[in-house]
Amino acid sequence: MNARHARTTRAPEPHDRTGWTGSTLRTQVWVLTARSLRAAFGDYRLVFFGLLQPVVLLLLFSQVFSGVGSLPGVAAYDGYINYLMPATLVNIAMITAMGAGAGLVAETYTGVVGRFRSLPISPVSVLLARTFADTARLAVQLVVIVVAAVLLLRFRPDGGPFGLAAAVLLTLVVGWGLSWVFVAIATWQRNVELMQAVSFIAMYPLMFSSSAYMPLQNMPAWVRAVATVNPLTYAIDAARALALGRSPGWALPLAVLLAMVAALGGGAAAARNFRRSA
Amino acid sequence: MRKLGKMERARIDVTGLGKTYGPVTALTGVDLTVAAGSVLAVLGHNGAGKTTLVDILATRTRPSTGKASVCGYDVATHGHEVRRRIALTGQFASVDETLSARGNLVLFARLLGAPARAAKARAEELLEVFGLTEAADRPALTYSGGMRRRLDLAACLVGSPEVLFLDEPTTGLDPVSRTGLWATVRHLARSGTTVVLTTQYLEEADRLADRIVVLAAGAVVAGGTPAELKARVGARTTTVTFRDEWSARWAVEEFQRIGLAPTLDPDAYTVTAALPDAGVILALLRALDRYGLDLADLTVTEPTLDEVYLSLHRAKWQQPPAPAAVERDTA
Ligand SMILES: Nc1ncnc2c1ncn2[C@@H]1O[C@H](COP(=O)(O)OP(=O)(O)OP(=O)(O)O)[C@@H](O)[C@H]1O
Ligand SMILES: [Mg+2]
Repeated sequence: MNARHARTTRAPEPHDRTGWTGSTLRTQVWVLTARSLRAAFGDYRLVFFGLLQPVVLLLLFSQVFSGVGSLPGVAAYDGYINYLMPATLVNIAMITAMGAGAGLVAETYTGVVGRFRSLPISPVSVLLARTFADTARLAVQLVVIVVAAVLLLRFRPDGGPFGLAAAVLLTLVVGWGLSWVFVAIATWQRNVELMQAVSFIAMYPLMFSSSAYMPLQNMPAWVRAVATVNPLTYAIDAARALALGRSPGWALPLAVLLAMVAALGGGAAAARNFRRSA
Repeated sequence: MRKLGKMERARIDVTGLGKTYGPVTALTGVDLTVAAGSVLAVLGHNGAGKTTLVDILATRTRPSTGKASVCGYDVATHGHEVRRRIALTGQFASVDETLSARGNLVLFARLLGAPARAAKARAEELLEVFGLTEAADRPALTYSGGMRRRLDLAACLVGSPEVLFLDEPTTGLDPVSRTGLWATVRHLARSGTTVVLTTQYLEEADRLADRIVVLAAGAVVAGGTPAELKARVGARTTTVTFRDEWSARWAVEEFQRIGLAPTLDPDAYTVTAALPDAGVILALLRALDRYGLDLADLTVTEPTLDEVYLSLHRAKWQQPPAPAAVERDTA
C-alpha cells in the first residue's frame, strides 16, 4: 500500500545536479563486460552444461576416431588424443564464438540492446563487452577440458604445462577473433533461426575440412585444397605444435594475424550494422 | 544558469520528415516543432507511424527524407550529441531481463557516467518512486507486464534528459500506476524537461499535453492545443440509463425541453446526448429530479480518438470506423 501511495504522490527529481551525459569507453566496456559475465555465470545450470558440452565432444571424438591413431601422419603423435586435443580446443573456441552471435541476437529480442542504441554509448563498447565476456567463458571451458583430458584420457603433451598454456592462450586469441565474425553476422541477420543457419554453414566446413581430426595427407585432394585455405587449419596446427612442444613455424604468426583481421573486419561491419536499422 | 541554457536549446524541429520501409510508407511529410519544456502528445491508431517518428527522433531509425533536429542537433549527423540529451522508453520493454530492477537501474546509471555509489543511490530513489522496492532484487524476467513497464520508465529517468520520449508509456499500466506516471510527466515538464509521448487515448493527450498532433497513415492530419482539437471534434456526450423503458421515453422529452438533442435506446433504457457545456448537466439533473425519474447510471464521456478521426475525416486513412461511432453519427 505504501509503495502505491508513494507512486502517486512523488515524482523523481530531474537531475540538473549530476549532469550524467555519458561515460568513457573504458567504463562502458567494463560495466557491460561485467553485466555479460554475470549473465553467463549467474545460472549454475547454464555453467554446468556449458562446461559439460565440450567434455562430451572430446570423449566422443577420442573414442569414435581412436582408429585414426594408427594412420600414417598420426602415429608419430604417440596417441590420437595428443593429435586431437589441441584441435578440440580450437573447435570449442569456434562453438563459443558462435554462441556470442546467438547471444547478441537473443539480447536484441529481450530489448536491452534496443535501449543501448538510444544511450550515449559507443556501439564498439557494447560489442567489445560481448566478445570479452564470451572469451572469459571460453577460458573457463578450455581449462576444464584440458584438466578432463589430462585426468580421463591420459593426455600428456610433450610441451608440458607451458606448451599447453601457450596453446590455450593462442586459442583464446583465435576465439576472440572468431567471435567478431559471428557478432557481425548477428548484427546483420537479426533473426535467431537465420543466424544459426548461416553460422552452421560457416561452422561445419571450417571445423571438418581442416587438420583437426585427420592429417591433410589422408584427405581427398579437393578437401585438402579447402583445408589449406581454411584459416582454422593454421590455428589448429599452431596450437598443436605449441602443445606438443614443436616449432609452430609460420602457422603461429599467421593464426594470430588472421584472428586480428577477423576482429577488425568483423568489428567494423558489426559496428556499422549495429547503428543501422531495418 | 544551466537551466536557462537548457530551456533555449531543448526543443525539436522536424521538417518534411518521411520514412519508407520498402513499399510501406511509415511517415510522410511530417512537420512539427516542440517548444522547450513543453509536452507534445502524438496521437494515432495502430500503424499510424508513432513509433517510427519517436525512433527517428531518438536516433534509433534513420529518416528516408526530410530533417529532424533535437536540442539543436541533427539526428542523422549528430546522433551521439542527441543521445547525450535524450532518454527513450520504447513501446516494448527494453531492460536486461536477467538482471534485477536494481541491477538494471545501476547499469544504466553507470553507462551514463554515474560513479558507482551515486548510481546505487539514484537506483534506490527510482525504485521507491516507481513502487518497485519489494521486487528490486528479483530478475526482471519474473516481473508482471506492468512492473516491467514501470522499470522501463524508471530506466529512462536515471539521468537528466533534456528531452524525454515515451512511446505508449501507459499501455499495460494499472490505473494507479497510470495516474502516477501522469504526475511524473507533469512534474518533469514543470522542471523544464521536454516530453514527447505517443498514445492511442485522447483523454491521456488531453490531460498531459500542451500540444497534440494527430497522425494517420504516416501524415499529420491535425495539430493544436487539446482545447483547439476538442473544439474541432465537438462536445462531450452524456449517457443516462433508466430503470425502465417508460422512464427513458419520458426523459427524452425532458432532454429536449432543456435544449439537448437526445437519442433513445429503448432496449437498454438509455438516453444519449451531446453536451454543449458542463453546466447543462445540472439543468438536466434538475429536470429529471422534478419528475422523480430514477437513474440507474449516468456517464459523461470525452470524445474518443475515433471521433477525432471521423470529424477530421481528411485524407487517406483506412482505419475502419468503430461501430459505436457510426451509430451515433447516423442517429
Ligand atoms: N521495420 C519495419 N519494416 C517494415 N515496415 C515497418 C517497420 N516498422 C514499421 N513499419 C510499418 O510502418 C508503419 C508505421 O508503424 P509504427 O510502428 O510507426 O506505427 P505505430 O503508430 O507506432 O503503431 P502502434 O500503435 O501499433 O504501435 C506500419 O505500417 C508498419 O507496418
Ligand atoms: Mg508504436
